[in-house]
Amino acid sequence: MSYTGFQFMDWVKVGEGAFWLVLTIGLYMVARALQKKSGGNPLVNAVLVAALPIMLLLYLFDVPVAHYALGGSILLWVLGPATVALAIPLYTNFSHVRAAWRPMAVALVAGSVVAVVSSIVIGHLLGASMETVRSLAPKTVTTPIAMGIAREIGGIPELTAAFVIFTGIIGAVSAAFLFRLVGIKDERARGFAFGVAAGGIGTARAFQESLLTGTFSGVGMTLNGIITAIVLPLLWLWFA
Amino acid sequence: MAGLKARRIGGRVLGFVALVLCLELGNLMVWGLGLPVPGTVIGILILLLGLAALRHVPDTLNDVSLWLLGHLNLLYVPAGVGVMGYVALVAQDFWPIVVTLFLSTFLATLASALAFRWAAGKSR
Repeated sequence: MSYTGFQFMDWVKVGEGAFWLVLTIGLYMVARALQKKSGGNPLVNAVLVAALPIMLLLYLFDVPVAHYALGGSILLWVLGPATVALAIPLYTNFSHVRAAWRPMAVALVAGSVVAVVSSIVIGHLLGASMETVRSLAPKTVTTPIAMGIAREIGGIPELTAAFVIFTGIIGAVSAAFLFRLVGIKDERARGFAFGVAAGGIGTARAFQESLLTGTFSGVGMTLNGIITAIVLPLLWLWFA
Repeated sequence: MAGLKARRIGGRVLGFVALVLCLELGNLMVWGLGLPVPGTVIGILILLLGLAALRHVPDTLNDVSLWLLGHLNLLYVPAGVGVMGYVALVAQDFWPIVVTLFLSTFLATLASALAFRWAAGKSR
């Protein structure tokens, strides 16, 4: 083909990307409104509510996921700087970290080790493929870091992202019941466990319990992300 | 009023640029030193060091960060949609995945909360 002149970009692709981007933002706004209406029910998860109609559209009109990614990749890119922003609440709440660093350190190690080891062992015992197990291992970590870890250890980042979301929903819905079962009343312990085991979705749920619970959850989520990202690839090198 | 708003937006852009710089510096270090860690984690550590050196959080950075963190769910949507490319694998490992997600999350929640209570009781 011999186009000349005005041909800096493929405008059809730009248009298609823009369409999916605007649709994603619109559906997200609808999902947020629905969640507010439901009183913050963790089952009405904004990611699920926004992603499912898009998946249905792609399926019905037989659109390759790569076409959706023309717009979606912009949001995925913003996820990087947004994750770096986790440093801000961690720094602001540093007084909490210093006041309770010993129980935090113990809970952090226990939570992250149990999360990683149990998902590898259970997945393996039940006969999941190696790719699936590698994608499951970092599932308690907050999404962008988890996707990075999955890439590092040979898992599939997109699969990990979905596992993180479902882990968050499961944790957010079940944690209060589990705490009652073993009699955990300390708001700091509850919050920290929410953050370590259920990441961002757990943290949103923890903030509904109290400000202190939510703060500890956010700290737990960030510390868990940092620690798991450093330890898991090393563990994997060691085993493999 | 309009000037004030423009300044706030300008500040947010500046804060966002600072976040991107931390991230790219992290990516650069990961690439240059061959670290087996995602660049985002190094980016967080760089920003933490920067804040510790400044001894406070600049308003511009604080504004844009809280705004981004408040809309993390929007940024997860494309990642969720991306699963469509792996339907076959999910279908093949469906039950192992479901059981692992539930059991492992229960165990991690309990382990973390019980460990916290145990350690907090000990240090008292």
